Amino acid sequence: MSQLSHRPISQPLARRASVALAAALLFAPVALYAQSVSITSDSSKTSDRWLHVRVVSTESKNETVRVNVPLDMAEKVLPAINKDRLHNGKVRFNDTDMNGVDLKTLLDAVRTAKDGEFVTVQSNDSDVRVAKQNGYMLVHVTEKHLGSGKDGKSTEKSRVDVKIPMKVVDALFSAGKDELDLVAALRALSAHGDTELVSVKSDDNSVRVWLDSKNISD
Amino acid sequence: MIIIAKCALALTSTVVVAGVYTFREGVIKVDVDEHRDGGSHVHFWVPAAAVPMAMHFVPKRHFRGMPAEASECLPLLRIVTSELRRYPDTTFVDVQDGRDHVRVATVGSKIQIDIVNDEENVHIAVPISTVNDVANQLAADAPGV
Repeated sequence: MSQLSHRPISQPLARRASVALAAALLFAPVALYAQSVSITSDSSKTSDRWLHVRVVSTESKNETVRVNVPLDMAEKVLPAINKDRLHNGKVRFNDTDMNGVDLKTLLDAVRTAKDGEFVTVQSNDSDVRVAKQNGYMLVHVTEKHLGSGKDGKSTEKSRVDVKIPMKVVDALFSAGKDELDLVAALRALSAHGDTELVSVKSDDNSVRVWLDSKNISD
Repeated sequence: MIIIAKCALALTSTVVVAGVYTFREGVIKVDVDEHRDGGSHVHFWVPAAAVPMAMHFVPKRHFRGMPAEASECLPLLRIVTSELRRYPDTTFVDVQDGRDHVRVATVGSKIQIDIVNDEENVHIAVPISTVNDVANQLAADAPGV
């Protein structure tokens, strides 16, 4: 043992060791950087809430638009946009935009009302249904082709389904009388589970807006 | 002989460290290919760290003359670029019609813009941190931002 401790280390070995150590030290940052890059790999399921928009138009050569936005980011970005009627994440509107309808009062009436159908219109060329159900505000609009079916019955031309959580509607109107608070609505939306908000289907277009935890659209 | 070896090692170390520093932020990659006869083909890589560094040498008066529209976008750009780092690789916008295909996505630590059509292919990849640095520098030098 004592022989080992007193044995001098050979010069070539010491040189090789020092070169190896220097090389290791030199390339350590590169290796660490490579590792950090590989860690940030793709994952479709995230803890964030994502708003997806998909528009497919068969009318003009299968035009498609896909937008995926994290709600957190939208919440932070919106207050930074100050353009026209949008300021600090709120959109201002006036009475003339609403044709004299007091939207706030109307909404209060809907909020306090029990679940049920508020508007039902059935005509030859369209059906409209506005309802409140299980904490959701529902709007269904169906446009019809008149008598184009086999037995002369009307067929569906387009269909619009809107399903908005009441909490989101409340948050939207939580600002002043003539303002829509988009940031508050996004916050309320992010607290909500996976849901399809808007669906439009017609002969030549389809639009879908939905919310989930994936960063990719289907 | 040993002195020459030490100098060589020091020089190599400096080059490697400088290289690591320069490429730490990644590279800006631009590829443009025009499909027509005699069309241009531009392919270049620039170390991303060089851009904010180069901006320090640009006279400040040039930044003050920035159009109002561009100044308005700077806070937005700063927020978006600082937020984007938090998310995994994602295609944020994908637009496809009969003629063009436009895609804006994050890949790794870069924001990537791809435009593909019959006439040309354009691919641009810029590190998110570089866009953030540039937006911060522009905002610091632009009045009223």
